[in-house]
Amino acid sequence: MLSNGSLMHWTLPVLLAAQVSPEDVTREIGRLQRNFEFLSYGFAAAWIVLTVYVLMMVSRERRLKREITGLKAMLEDRQKR
Amino acid sequence: MREKLLYALGVIAFAILARDIFIIAGFPPEVAQGNAFKIIFFHVPSWVAAGTALTTALLSSILFLVTKNFKYDATAVAATEVGVAFLSVGLATGILWARPIWGVWWVWDARLTSALILWLMYAGYLMLRHAVEEPTQRANFAAVFSILAFIDVPIVYFSIRWWRTQHPAPVFFSSGGSFPPDWSAVMGWNILAMVMLACVLVSVRLQQEQAQREIDSLRRLAHAL
Repeated sequence: MLSNGSLMHWTLPVLLAAQVSPEDVTREIGRLQRNFEFLSYGFAAAWIVLTVYVLMMVSRERRLKREITGLKAMLEDRQKR
Repeated sequence: MREKLLYALGVIAFAILARDIFIIAGFPPEVAQGNAFKIIFFHVPSWVAAGTALTTALLSSILFLVTKNFKYDATAVAATEVGVAFLSVGLATGILWARPIWGVWWVWDARLTSALILWLMYAGYLMLRHAVEEPTQRANFAAVFSILAFIDVPIVYFSIRWWRTQHPAPVFFSSGGSFPPDWSAVMGWNILAMVMLACVLVSVRLQQEQAQREIDSLRRLAHAL
């Protein structure tokens, strides 16, 4: 014998499923796809910001090394004179 | 050797973050928010990394004011710059989560507003350093500014506990939320990777700051000759 609670437990999903129209299913699929789109944008944004910052650091590193080499060469040249 | 170790740590951190994307993609969508919820796997770690960097900047600024050693000033600027990069990641991922869930890109609630103010203040710190020419004056102003700016960090952190905000209640370190254990493990790895990446970037930036100081002294020498 099923109790009232367990009867609800088994019948509620069936009743709910029966009320879902094809438009609801299409809307829900659309919502999930849109959600996935924003998930990919979020991941892309995180990677883009970090990659751009790392690239800025690499370019700064190169500039600093070039500048140090140039200054040292200039100082050696002046000291020779 | 030290440089190679740093780059190796950076590559490992990036590899962990890249690997976790595939693991996260395999998780089922969250019941209420769907896939957009998974942005949290990059959103929270970036804020933890930013918090770590900004705490380092605060301690370095205090140490500079106490000791007047420029090594601490260099650490403060390195940590702040990296902190701003991670704050940008945190803000960008938050905005991209808000759009599908709230239907708007931005709301002026306590958490979001205080977070934006934090970003603006630390961006202002970096601009202030460019504006002051004299090195000792620059370091002093910057240290004081950094200490004042840090006041906003606990406000950002506690804003969702102190006030009723549109931002969701805390999931971690609270009784209000729950996170499945396998999701928590991936979150832990991402936090570790982001903090590791922040440490590597601060170290590399610190080396660059030292190189800049070497350039300044070489220039002074060149002027003297």
